[in-house]
Amino acid sequence: MDSSNAIVMPGERITIIEEVAKEKRVILGPGLRRLDDTVVASKAGPLRHKEPGTYWIDNYQRRYVPARGDLVLGIIKGKAGDQYRVDIGSADIASISYLAFEAATKKNRPDLNPGDIIYARVLNASADIEPELVCVNSNGKRGKLGLLADGFFFKCTLNLGRLLLRENCPALAALTRELPYEIAIGVNGRIWVKANSLRETMALSNAILTMEQAGYTEIDKICDSLGDVLQA
Amino acid sequence: MNLPDKPEQVAKDKLREMQCKFNPLSRCDGSVMYCQGATVVISAVLGPIEVKTQNLSIDGSYLECNYRPKAGLPQVKERIREAAVRDVLELALLSEAYPRSKMSLQIQELEDRGSIDACALNSACLAMLIGGLPLKCSFAAVHCIINEQGEYILDPDQRETEHERASFTFAFDSLEGNLLLVQTKGSFKIAEFNDVESLCRSASAEILQFYRTSISNYHCRRSDTKTSEEQMET
Repeated sequence: MDSSNAIVMPGERITIIEEVAKEKRVILGPGLRRLDDTVVASKAGPLRHKEPGTYWIDNYQRRYVPARGDLVLGIIKGKAGDQYRVDIGSADIASISYLAFEAATKKNRPDLNPGDIIYARVLNASADIEPELVCVNSNGKRGKLGLLADGFFFKCTLNLGRLLLRENCPALAALTRELPYEIAIGVNGRIWVKANSLRETMALSNAILTMEQAGYTEIDKICDSLGDVLQA
Repeated sequence: MNLPDKPEQVAKDKLREMQCKFNPLSRCDGSVMYCQGATVVISAVLGPIEVKTQNLSIDGSYLECNYRPKAGLPQVKERIREAAVRDVLELALLSEAYPRSKMSLQIQELEDRGSIDACALNSACLAMLIGGLPLKCSFAAVHCIINEQGEYILDPDQRETEHERASFTFAFDSLEGNLLLVQTKGSFKIAEFNDVESLCRSASAEILQFYRTSISNYHCRRSDTKTSEEQMET
């Protein structure tokens, strides 16, 4: 990933992308839009590039905007006909069908109540319609998705969610060395954790929240102090 | 925050010192504390969020703007200011990016020591930028007065506005420098208006540059820690 610190401002024409676009396909990510034959920024932040042709503008936005394929944590808000209404932190409340769960049929409905937390994938996200979620993959298996029972749920910034989900992020591996736990991270800035005891769960969630401010170097230190706290 | 309280030291054709602090508030999507000299405002944005059915628009987002004075409830004066900010933002906001949603902007005045209109507009723009709301362009607003001696005073302090003969507020966009807002009060000649406009136009470039450096610093500060992490990793 190219991380130059050149800031672009809204309305600025980005000629670098236009040049590249003459030769190959480019993908415009968040913060960039096409205006006739020009590429124009609509957000402020550093321009990022990933090979072969993906461009986007990085910024520390706090509001989640759903995108197809995202893994999110949602809270069930209620039932509406044959759908559940789910809050995923976006502008609109998302919906999930009764049939979008493993082994669900018209007779055998999943037992979800308002306040339950689910881990789901965004099936459909468009600006004009409300987002739709599913809890199964294309083979009808639930995989890691579905209802998250017990555990502890908290909100964090979108940035921390993305950071932890990054492939080379050492944070989760470092925490594993300290204690066994289950975790579900949503790119909508929501995290669910579960460890063997309440005490461990709380310590874990605090450790994760501290990691946002910390660099990779401090991760080991946080994990060590987590171990100390739990033994005390 | 250290506020410069010596307007005498600022030259008549110079802007007062600008400072800003990003995200002082925790529960909104983007906020900024912005000051120009001793005038201070906090702006916060939320969006895109759910919209009431009565305001729903299928081809664009609804923009809500609230201005709160330092004390008491908003009166007519504040409503006019609020309407001015909304008019400018409607021109700058890329509302078709999030149809059927609402963008909400709150401005809280903390201290009014002259050019509050321009200050409110500039803080609104910075809050939009930091909240990641889609804009067609950024904008900068500048306040200028003509005093009783016929001198032009750019970005006046409250003490200087006591001797004003005419006052002007201009807002310019960042692309072609188009006028987005003109507010005038008092008596002046067309030639004077043109002079003040060109004076404000050149000052707006300085404000736009301030936006860029502030946002650049904000991103660098956060990514600095990250790049050092990546180096440590290798």
